[in-house]
Amino acid sequence: MNTQKKAASPPDMRSTVPQPAIKPEREPGLKVSGLSLELGDAPILRDISFSLPDRGISILIGPSGAGKSTLLRCLNLLHQSWQGDLRIMGQDVRAWTGGEDALRRTVGLIAQKPALFPCSIAQNVVFGLGKKARKQVSGERIEQVLRQAALWDEVKGRLSEAASTLSVGQQQRLCIARALALEPAMLLLDEPTASLDPRSKQCIETSLRQMAEQMPVLCVTHDIEQAKRLGGQIIFMCDGRLIESGDSDDFFTRPERIESREFLRWSVCDCG
Amino acid sequence: MNERRAKTFVIILALPALLLPAACLLYILFKGVPALDWAMLFGSSEAADAFGSVTTLWPQIAGSLLLMLGACLLAAPVALGGTLFYALTASARQRQGLLGMMHLLVGIPPIVYGLCGLIVLVHLLHWGISLLTGMVILAVIILPMLLLNSVNAIARIPSEKTEAARALGLSHGQLIRRVWLPAAWPALITGLLLGMARALSETAPILFTATVFSGVAWPDSLFSPVTSLQTHIFYLAQEGANAQSVDIAWASAVILVALVTALSFSASALRKVRMH
Repeated sequence: MNTQKKAASPPDMRSTVPQPAIKPEREPGLKVSGLSLELGDAPILRDISFSLPDRGISILIGPSGAGKSTLLRCLNLLHQSWQGDLRIMGQDVRAWTGGEDALRRTVGLIAQKPALFPCSIAQNVVFGLGKKARKQVSGERIEQVLRQAALWDEVKGRLSEAASTLSVGQQQRLCIARALALEPAMLLLDEPTASLDPRSKQCIETSLRQMAEQMPVLCVTHDIEQAKRLGGQIIFMCDGRLIESGDSDDFFTRPERIESREFLRWSVCDCG
Repeated sequence: MNERRAKTFVIILALPALLLPAACLLYILFKGVPALDWAMLFGSSEAADAFGSVTTLWPQIAGSLLLMLGACLLAAPVALGGTLFYALTASARQRQGLLGMMHLLVGIPPIVYGLCGLIVLVHLLHWGISLLTGMVILAVIILPMLLLNSVNAIARIPSEKTEAARALGLSHGQLIRRVWLPAAWPALITGLLLGMARALSETAPILFTATVFSGVAWPDSLFSPVTSLQTHIFYLAQEGANAQSVDIAWASAVILVALVTALSFSASALRKVRMH
C-alpha cells in the first residue's frame, strides 16, 4: 500500500531532507457533512456533521423528537430531500453505483418495530435477495446469518414455520438476519431493543458487538444504560442538531456540553 | 331492564333494513321462479327476432355479461394504474386532488354518464348505440369505485412492511409484486367483484348508449348494439298489459338477481380471507 502511495506521489527531488513515508488514510465508513432536512416548512435536521470509522459500534442518542430516526432514514435514502454531503466508504450516496436500491442493500436499516413478511422464517431471511439468489442460497448461508443475529439456536429446527410464530424479540433478530443476508457494508438500527425483554435485549447487544467487528454499526437508542454497555462512539442529538460526539467513556464521564450533562442527568434536553 | 329496552329499540329500528330487502327478494323469487323454464335459458335465439314474443333470455344474459366484463377489463387497469400513481409517485396535493375527484365522480347519477355517452360517443364520435359505447360508459361509472377500493386496500397494508421492503432495496416493481399484491389481493378482487355487480345492475346509462329491445341475438362486433337483462326488464315492464311480457320480466329479474348475488357472495367470501 505504501509503495503504491509512493509511486503515486514521488518524493520532491528539490529537497535534500528525506520525506516521511505517507501513511494511507483509511476512508471513514460514513462521513456526513452539513446534512440538513426540512419536511414541510419545519427544519428536522440542522447542519449535522460527523463521521464513523469503517468498523465499530456508534450510538446515536438523544431525547424524543431529536431527529435520530429521521437521520437514519436519510442515510438509507428513505428520505431524499436532504441537503449536504453524505459519503459511505468514500462514495457519494447521490451518485451510488446501481442507484438508491443498491445503496439500500449496502446500508442495512432495521426499524424499531419488526416487520416480517407472511412467509416462513427461511424465506424471510432471504427476502431481500434477487429471484436467482433466493433460489441459489444455501442452507449454510441462512444458518450463518441467523447465527450472526444470535437466532440460530432458537429456530434451527423450524425454518419452514411461519415467521409470525416467533416472539417479538426473535422477530427483531430475524429482521437483523434478513438485513445481514444482503451482506451490507454498514448497519443502521433504530431502537432495535425498544420494548423487548432483557434476554432479547442481551442477545441483540451481543449480536451488535459481533457485527461491529466487521462493519460500522450505528444504533439509535433512548436507553442511556444500553448506550454505556455498548460503548464505542456516542453521537448526541437534540432538536435536530448534533450537540456532541465522542468516545463513550468521555461522553458519559466528562460530557463537554451543558445539554449533554442535562440529558445524562434528566434524560431530557431543552436546547430547542 | 334499561339495557333490554335499548336492545328492543335497536332491533325495531333495524327490522325494516332486514325485512324490506328480504321481502323484495322473496317477491321476485315468488313471481319469477315459476316463469323460468329451460327453453327460456337455452332456447333458440331465433325467437329473439320476434318482437314481443321472445321467450329465450340467453342473448340478454350474454349481453349483460359482455357489457360487465368489457367494463371491468377497461376500468381495472386504469384503476390499478391510478392506485400505483397515488401510492408511489403522487405528491400530497395530487393525492388529495385524485381522491376528491373520485369521490365526486362516485356521486354523479349514472343517467348523467349515459347522457354524456350519448352525446360524445354515440353522436360526436359516431360509435353509435353499441357494445363498446356501453362498455366505456360502464367502465367510467365503476372506475371511481374500483380506484377508491384499491387505494384503501394498499393503504391498509402496514406502512412498516412497505418501509422494510424499501429498506431492503426492493424496487417499486418488486415491492408491488412481492409485498403489496400478496397482502392486498383479497381486497382488490373483492372490489372488482363489487364493481362487476355494479356494472351488471346499471340500467339507465346503457339504455340509450348500448342496448336495443330485440332484433339482436349476439353482437357482430364491438360497434353492434346488444340486448341486456336490465334494459329487457325495463322494456317488458312497460308492456304491463301483456301477461307473458310481465312473466318474462320477472324471470329476467330472477336471473339478474342471481348473477348479482353470486358476485356479491363471492366478494363477501373473499373479504373473509385473512389479510396478512
